[in-house]
Amino acid sequence: MSFSRKCVPFTPFEGELAKSTVALVTAGGVHLKDQEPFNIADELGDLGYRIIPEDVDSSQLMVTHHHYDHSDADSDINVVFPIDVLRDLQAEGFIRGVAKKHVGYMGYTMQLKAMYEGTAREIANEIDKGSRADVVVLTGG
Amino acid sequence: MKGIPTVLITVSPEVSAQMRPPRAIYPKGFKIGNSLGKPGMRELQQAVLRDALTLLTENTRPGKIVTRDYPGYGEYHEPPRVKNLS
Repeated sequence: MSFSRKCVPFTPFEGELAKSTVALVTAGGVHLKDQEPFNIADELGDLGYRIIPEDVDSSQLMVTHHHYDHSDADSDINVVFPIDVLRDLQAEGFIRGVAKKHVGYMGYTMQLKAMYEGTAREIANEIDKGSRADVVVLTGG
Repeated sequence: MKGIPTVLITVSPEVSAQMRPPRAIYPKGFKIGNSLGKPGMRELQQAVLRDALTLLTENTRPGKIVTRDYPGYGEYHEPPRVKNLS
């Protein structure tokens, strides 16, 4: 997947939300409790990301990020990673479904080029190839 | 590969605007760490997510961040500013 540096990389949405599957990608440092935490000791920032499966129990998610106050997310992950909210919208028919894969990464880096040319593309490919998502909702902290 | 449509929920609109996101919504006055609202405010969280997704169906201008008010949040936090913004 190639990224444009000069133009806004706008992809039109031509479907209907009620027939669309939605993936979440968050920079809020969200990951499963049994996944390796992001390395907050690295002053340059952790360039990794974690795959979060569609059937995740939200109580099994946590945040590792030292550049915002995530105490609210610690008590309700939906404030930065609205996976249960997405399920609500599916149940009410607002969207068709929840994608098979979601992604958490730590949105802080001093390695912008590596984030832009490496991590971001890898995340886009994960979503493109394995999630069956029609649209993506991005969140920060 | 034609790309996947995205919509961003941001609580740092000036910072996010620098990256010129294709579509973005700013829930006005929400603090960092509360992109969808506060813990347990499920109806508010649903409203923010519905509004974000609905932006996909609207004729938004790429790179523009849409501000929405959610009085139910009950607080106002000044968003971070970008220094030397011209």
